[in-house]
Amino acid sequence: MVELGNFSPEERAAQEERLRSVWKTPGGWRYWTSVNNSEIGLWYGVTAFAFMLFAGLLGLLMRAQLATPNNDLISADLYNQAFTLHGTVMMFLFAVPIFEAVAIFLLPSMLGARELPFPRLSAFGFWSFLLGGIFVCGSIFFDSAPNAGWFMYPPLATDKEYAGIGADIWLLGLSFIEVASIAAAVEIIVGIMKCRAPGMRINMMPMFAWYLLIVAGMILFAFPPLIAGDILFEMERMFDWPFFDVSRGGDPLLWQHLFWIFGHPEVYIVFLPAIALMAMIVPTFSQRPIVGYSWIVLAAVGTGFLSFGLWVHHMFTTGLPQISLAFFSAASEAVAIPTGVQIFVFIATMLAGRVIFSVPMLFGAGGLAIFTIGGLTGVMVALAPFDWQAHDTYFIVAHLHYVLIGGMFFPIVAGIYYYFPFVTGKKLSAAWGKLAFWLMFVGFNLGFFPMHLSGLRGMPRRVFTYPEEFGWNLFNLVSTVGAFIFAAGVATFVIDILRPKPKTSGRNLNPWSAGTLEWTNDPQESWGMRSVPIITSRYPLWEQPDLQANIEAGRYYLPDAKSGKRETLVTSVLDAEPIQCLRVGGVSYVPMISALALGGVFIALTFHWWIPTIICAIITLIAIVWWLWTGTAQIPEAEKVDVGLGQELPVYVSGPASVGWWAMFITMVGDGTAFASLIFGYFFYWTVHDDFTTGAPGPGALWPMVALSLFIIAWLLTIVARHLNARGHPGCRLALAAGIFATVAACLAGLAGPYFHGMDPTSNVYPATVWVIVIWTVVHGAVGIVMQAYCLARNFAGRMTTEYDQDIRNVTLYWHFMAFTAVITFAVLGLFPMVSA
Amino acid sequence: MKSVIPREVESLWTLFTAPTVWAIHFLGCYAAVAVYCAKAASLDFGFAVVRLALGGLTVLALMAIVLSAYLAWRQWGFGSGDPPHDEPTRRDRTLFQGFATLLLSGLSFVAVVYAAIPLIFIAECQR
Amino acid sequence: MMADGSSDVCRPRDLILWTSRSRFGSSSILFSALSLSGCSGPHSALDPAGPEASHVAHLFFVMLIAGIIIWSAVVAALIYASRKKRVYSEQSAGRVILWCGAILPAIILCALLSYGVWLMPAVRPWLPDDQQVHRIEVTGEQFWWRVRYLDEAGEVMFETANEVRIPVGQPAHFLLKAVDVIHSFWVPSLGGKMDMIPGRTNPLTLMADREGIYRGVCAEFCGQSHALMAFTVRAVAPDEHEAWLVERQVPGPRDAEGLAVFLKNGCGACHAISGTAAAGRIGPELTAFGERGTLAAGTLPHTQEDIARFISYPERTKPGVKMPHFGMLPEDDIKTIAAFLKELK
Repeated sequence: MVELGNFSPEERAAQEERLRSVWKTPGGWRYWTSVNNSEIGLWYGVTAFAFMLFAGLLGLLMRAQLATPNNDLISADLYNQAFTLHGTVMMFLFAVPIFEAVAIFLLPSMLGARELPFPRLSAFGFWSFLLGGIFVCGSIFFDSAPNAGWFMYPPLATDKEYAGIGADIWLLGLSFIEVASIAAAVEIIVGIMKCRAPGMRINMMPMFAWYLLIVAGMILFAFPPLIAGDILFEMERMFDWPFFDVSRGGDPLLWQHLFWIFGHPEVYIVFLPAIALMAMIVPTFSQRPIVGYSWIVLAAVGTGFLSFGLWVHHMFTTGLPQISLAFFSAASEAVAIPTGVQIFVFIATMLAGRVIFSVPMLFGAGGLAIFTIGGLTGVMVALAPFDWQAHDTYFIVAHLHYVLIGGMFFPIVAGIYYYFPFVTGKKLSAAWGKLAFWLMFVGFNLGFFPMHLSGLRGMPRRVFTYPEEFGWNLFNLVSTVGAFIFAAGVATFVIDILRPKPKTSGRNLNPWSAGTLEWTNDPQESWGMRSVPIITSRYPLWEQPDLQANIEAGRYYLPDAKSGKRETLVTSVLDAEPIQCLRVGGVSYVPMISALALGGVFIALTFHWWIPTIICAIITLIAIVWWLWTGTAQIPEAEKVDVGLGQELPVYVSGPASVGWWAMFITMVGDGTAFASLIFGYFFYWTVHDDFTTGAPGPGALWPMVALSLFIIAWLLTIVARHLNARGHPGCRLALAAGIFATVAACLAGLAGPYFHGMDPTSNVYPATVWVIVIWTVVHGAVGIVMQAYCLARNFAGRMTTEYDQDIRNVTLYWHFMAFTAVITFAVLGLFPMVSA
Repeated sequence: MKSVIPREVESLWTLFTAPTVWAIHFLGCYAAVAVYCAKAASLDFGFAVVRLALGGLTVLALMAIVLSAYLAWRQWGFGSGDPPHDEPTRRDRTLFQGFATLLLSGLSFVAVVYAAIPLIFIAECQR
Repeated sequence: MMADGSSDVCRPRDLILWTSRSRFGSSSILFSALSLSGCSGPHSALDPAGPEASHVAHLFFVMLIAGIIIWSAVVAALIYASRKKRVYSEQSAGRVILWCGAILPAIILCALLSYGVWLMPAVRPWLPDDQQVHRIEVTGEQFWWRVRYLDEAGEVMFETANEVRIPVGQPAHFLLKAVDVIHSFWVPSLGGKMDMIPGRTNPLTLMADREGIYRGVCAEFCGQSHALMAFTVRAVAPDEHEAWLVERQVPGPRDAEGLAVFLKNGCGACHAISGTAAAGRIGPELTAFGERGTLAAGTLPHTQEDIARFISYPERTKPGVKMPHFGMLPEDDIKTIAAFLKELK
């Protein structure tokens, strides 16, 4: 057992002064340059919640229109824009971002870290989200909102006459937000794996962290296929490349595959974090540790995997072979098992504890009752024969709202009631909470239960009106009344949050007597943990006596901020042994400028303003390089620093021990998934056509093989450069320069194949597919050039040395993926046509 | 077997072995029938061959999962200690990993069996 | 539909008739409760009129009973767990997870999955593409249905729109296509839906057990007037159907004066009437238009006034429709055309 620190009151006051000044949130308008997780998390959450209220109003508008048959309150076109935006905003601007918000806000405190490893990346994600969200939502006020459904099926959504600029706003606005989500996923994975308090082994992690780890992993595999789909889609809309145009060999079903490979995991991506909140709330109010910790891990990991085998159940009526449908039926039923386990883990915990039935529990239990109905109807529609009837009817509308509102919205509200004191130091009112709950619960069931019946009685979805003679009138009227009662409940909840609260007497950091680490934090201070504790229990506040006092007395790690920099601990993945004192980024304009510039790229593209697009792209590139140059891999003043408890840790580590290496690895896994989706597209077209090249010339074998060889050479040169740098050999610079030349040549050779064979991407889907894959690889080559050049410049500037070589190690890692991409690209494009012929 | 795989696989990744086997089996089944049904006209074997091959794949997958379950059971000390495995020791962390892996192997086993059910009932490429 | 007067008004009698017809004994009471107003009409998956719909309704009923039991048990457990005085040991609570959360669901789901997967080839059996049968080709267009009757060799016998006739007790084989965007063909009383996707041809076989008029709708969002894209299936006796197939291939009598006005105003550019100069292929075929029960793809009743109204301002009935408005024509011309169309057999 290590000996804890012991400081006199004067020393402690001085420490606190230094910590306070290091972690200070700037005042005035510079407040918005803050990158601290508690600010970013709060902004993120409030913004997502505001988007939810906006989308909810759209929902009410739709319900008002459907209150009576043949109603003409709003036009068909406005209705179609409203339901498209309702779905889009709820999924992309509320459900996913709210969990990112909660994660960014809570994770550092739960894990005992001062900050997530890349605070500026979180800030970048937030500004991207805000800009993209306003862009997408604002469109409805100009009558140009997307109107082809949140699923954007071509050819309706590629029809320029029907889906005008709205479709581009959807594609580009959301692609931008997807980038932000992937950034958040990287942040969360690295944070959970590497930034836990010492002693917090993986069997001690809070349940919330387990869920979030799995969810962030799912984002990494779920979002990239949609980004790949967006690229194909936008290429068709902007440049007439016929990916989904049947007359030129395209196929609208490819979009459906890519969309739902994203779309179904997405449901679990929003559901699991909400259940994760429940997994924090239930033990607190059962006054005991969770029963079945390992079962929760089974449920989270199992759901994470199985959720990728469900996507075709959104396509049961597209006429795929029955046996294909049946495989997806099987996985869709299997995923119910881990979901059932989760519910029974909560019941078991309550059975083994003494339950205090508070407002958070009320929302949690009510949500579970609703969600169970949604789960059971989910088991029903997972069977293809029943889905053939239920698909695209109000039965599905009922099912999905039972799942999402019961499984996600109610737990989120429970979480807000639970964590409100954590954020503000004050509780919300129990009386208001009960009123809000009953209004929401009754209103919800009144609003959505009748939809099961109207659906089975033949009412299809996405209709702006309906005839009066089929017995749907009463159901719809009741639904509308219920929806407004539900809205009244939400309004009550919002008022409860906004109304001024009476001053509370005394300081009570842990009003619910919870056992997890986050409740040691003082919301008045922006440093998070006063000192980073050693953890020996899953519920340290219950089982580690004096923990709170010791943390506040600065008796644990990092009690001071002598360096004047923001510091947090990095620990090992499995057993959480301290390995590094990580310096994270502080207050800065760079994330905001980069996000706004990148947003400018997407917005200018929407309107086909090419010059502003290029200008914004250049600003983005400069901002990001500036960000990296000044903010990452800084050579420290000393190799090791004192982290307290008589321990010294390195400030700078490189390779797999560093968080940057992990971030690169994780990003490239996501990137590889998007690439795999494009390759999937290539083979998809091969299966749908008897002769997928339709006699068109391919890129040949010569140029692709030349490009491949050059990419391999560039990759080897990068590796050589890394080794030479490690030995302090000046040949490193030469190798990097040669690598740049090889990459340039490789990119040109890659483009030469399709170019010299006269492949016209607008003529047929085959040349279009070849071009898009080649361009993907060449763009990655271009990024590789920037990285090689960056390393060269760092080397010249003395910012990358033999000892401090993080830059080139991360760049080499990038190049491993680059080489893999090049091998697949050129082997498939150059050789597969020969094999299949 | 014991000599090949270290007694305590010091990695987080063993947790994902069984679900990964499920994923490979699932994708194998899906890709095989998708390609077969799209290209049936140009292939000179019947659907029965595909079913049989996928049946074989199922057996292989189940065997792999059973192996993973056995290793997990061993890591869990053959059930010598009950959960919760929440002591701050390396031993409890390992036991926890073993137990969680065992549970995931069970789930993956069931999921693979489910995925094989269509092979019993559906004999053609009908839509 | 309303013009047919088949079931536009819900009468208690229908409930009694329907219940006695039901093949599921005790389930009928539940179905009736679900159908609430008593008759769930010609457009309900809960009022099956064909084998696929019956099988699926039965499947639903089984799942509904199981679902009610499971939900009640879970909610009861939740309430008990939050109210009870006794504190259970971690071991016994753990057993609840193992048995209620994992093993029991795994067994139930396995049985249910087997049932569902077995049902798939049972309700939609294998029919090779090259088998020589009569097929009905239905093409989804914004926002109506082009219907073509094909002979055994796959040649078009004749074309019609928005209404399909099938023989009772015999499988009707549909070939489903789309030209513009994705649509979905769904007749809830007879069976599940099947999408119509540009570039693909999807097969669907449906059968009606009893004579009647069943309503179908487009189930995939297809643009502005997706809500207004319905059709009618008439199930008639097989011999009557045979006779109709023959009769339909010979043009019926036409009112010459009406035809002249029809042609004079250019209607023939988009619409076809067999045996006349009107041969347009853009809009719905109007041969034998008079025998249809509804107008504008199941949107309006088939009366002369409504036909005239639709011709004058189609956009008012159906936003986004391709047909231009003809409100500028002399009122008499419109009336004549409407009368002519109403009488086309």
